[in-house]
Amino acid sequence: MVEKKLQCPNCNEIITLTGNPGDIVSIVCPSCATKGSYNFKKTYISENSAVEVSNLRKVYGELVAVNDISFSVKKGEVFAFLGPNGAGKTTTVEMIESIRKKTAGNIKILGIDIENSFDLVKEKIGILPQEFYSFEKLTVRETLDYFSQLYKKRANIDSIIEAMDLKAEENKLYKDLSGGLKQRVGVAISLVNDPEIVFLDEPSTGLDPKARREVWEVIQGLRNKGKTIFLTTHYMEEAEYLADHIAIIHKGKIIAEGSLEELINRYGEQSVLRIKNCKTKNTFDILKDYGLEVEREGNGDISVKIHYKERVLDILSILKSECIEYSTIDIRRSNLEEIFLKLTGARLSGSAS
Amino acid sequence: MNLKFIKTDLILGIKQWVRSPGTVFWTILFPILLILIFGAIFSSGTEVRFDLVVQDLDESTTSNEFVGILDNISGVNIIDLKAGKDVTKYMHDEDKKVALVIPEGFESIIFEYMQSQHDPNSTFDMNNLPFNLRIIVDPTDQTSPSILRSIINSVIQQFNINITGGQNLFGLTEEKSVGEDFEYIDFFVPGMIGFTIMTSMIYGSIERNTKYRKNGILRKLLTMPISRSEWILSKMLFMLFLSFISTFVIIIVGILAWGLNIHMSIFFFILVICTSFMFSGLGMIIGRFVKEEETADMAGGAITFPMMFLSGTFFPLAQMPEFLQTIARVLPLFYVNEGFRNAMIYNDFGETIYYTAFVVAFTLVFFIIGAFVTKWKED
Repeated sequence: MVEKKLQCPNCNEIITLTGNPGDIVSIVCPSCATKGSYNFKKTYISENSAVEVSNLRKVYGELVAVNDISFSVKKGEVFAFLGPNGAGKTTTVEMIESIRKKTAGNIKILGIDIENSFDLVKEKIGILPQEFYSFEKLTVRETLDYFSQLYKKRANIDSIIEAMDLKAEENKLYKDLSGGLKQRVGVAISLVNDPEIVFLDEPSTGLDPKARREVWEVIQGLRNKGKTIFLTTHYMEEAEYLADHIAIIHKGKIIAEGSLEELINRYGEQSVLRIKNCKTKNTFDILKDYGLEVEREGNGDISVKIHYKERVLDILSILKSECIEYSTIDIRRSNLEEIFLKLTGARLSGSAS
Repeated sequence: MNLKFIKTDLILGIKQWVRSPGTVFWTILFPILLILIFGAIFSSGTEVRFDLVVQDLDESTTSNEFVGILDNISGVNIIDLKAGKDVTKYMHDEDKKVALVIPEGFESIIFEYMQSQHDPNSTFDMNNLPFNLRIIVDPTDQTSPSILRSIINSVIQQFNINITGGQNLFGLTEEKSVGEDFEYIDFFVPGMIGFTIMTSMIYGSIERNTKYRKNGILRKLLTMPISRSEWILSKMLFMLFLSFISTFVIIIVGILAWGLNIHMSIFFFILVICTSFMFSGLGMIIGRFVKEEETADMAGGAITFPMMFLSGTFFPLAQMPEFLQTIARVLPLFYVNEGFRNAMIYNDFGETIYYTAFVVAFTLVFFIIGAFVTKWKED
């Protein structure tokens, strides 16, 4: 049974409801008799779930930092929690990591409710906190040794050093490493106990594009090894590049969730194939005769809307069979930035060039 | 409690400390410099004296003979003090470190003893033996008293052998002179120990609780199997290691450079341990409520520096205005300093207990509050 407090939109009366996940409860305001209903969202219960979050809420005084969010992370996937700074990403992940107290809601990691049993999952998770900076007077190897000694289950440090490509730096002091290497060491630290789930909170923030790419490659490598990755980021390219599943959070609420493909299909604009520098004069009419949605662009280029990706091959065949000459073609499709803009009217602040 | 976790974290602390020249400087070299500088400024010299003030209350032929034996020993300079003079006052006024008082009856006890050996009806009570001579020593000077004590003892033993064939006819009891004329270094070193432990512990705690929080290390540890109590314990062991290292370095330099004389007792160790825990607790409290590293450092300075000057660390409290003396008596460092002085230098058991009790009480309050308010978890 879950308890929920709601505010009547007409008279601001606080109404307390109780129900089970999945229940839809009718409401009648005792003060003004306004009618409504509330859907107690189903708790995500799946053997395949690495992380299950239900009705999670965090309130600081009057500020609702995380507003009743629910989601699930499947084992073996890269889950990206995408949102601008201050959206509630770190607050959420820190509640999942039991670093921060939650106001309400349930969190399960590997099927274990962490409310009173977080100790049971400590050996199974690895965490890179936001803006993590390790002991500056220890070498890379000593750092990894230190953290691994604090676990019962330990991964082979040599393997981690090799996998993270830190062999050349293993005897360097942490303080002497570049930002990218420090972050790579941070990821390596999160692996010292060979965890099933790795939480990476903004792992590439503050890094230059090259270092960011290096961190992405490391995360790709972890995914290939079957680790579940819970990634928070405000870089849409990072989420697009790495994530199997994306949840977009804005002002403490999840506003969209799904794979990149699903999000684009659901919220994005139609993809467009653009024929640049077209030299065949009647190209526009030829393509229109084939029943395609064609538009002329200001610079003389021609764009064709694509309803489904197989259509691209059809268009290319038409261009070839009609001997249409052009310099290049490109396909433009919606990205997460546009989806975020469409859903919120605001832009994601970060950009990972 | 996982001892392996504690050991691992303790080794981490030592490694980081050894690799931080700045920290090593503040912990070891800075106190050494202060000892040498202050010692050079204020010390009135460390010349070892073998003057022996002798007050012969018996004024007999035998007591004269006894003094004569002492006077013939090279290196011992006998200074006669007439009966009726206050020995301790004389020692204080003339800066003498050792005095011997030969009580009245010195000669007659020999006669009574010898007579008892030939007269079976003698009333001489062997249970009243030995007949004690009094040696009065200045507790701040261990060199002269220890040498003169052993010389006097050997002369007494020789007397005993000659007269009784081995029985202890004469003995020696020891008293302290009024100990208010200690060398400055004797006053300064215990204060330096208290001050060094205070600064290391407060700043160490502040660093852990602000820097580690800022760098995400506390958040990281919170998600790991090591518990908060294991972590605090390992840090405390490391801080104790630092305290003992710096304390012994200060003492060794004090001994080598200025001939410092100290008494090692269990109270000395209790004081080192309690002081470490007490000021770590104070650092934890500061670190909990002052989040920014730089601000926390300033807060640490705002507490340590006034306390250093107001607690009689470098200058005796008596030299300060009365209202400052009143303030000093509510500061924990005052009790630490006085505790160390009484335990290490004055060797005054009663005073040591008194000040140690205050230190223990302060420790319980500060460390318990500090450990209680130290949180890894964010609100």
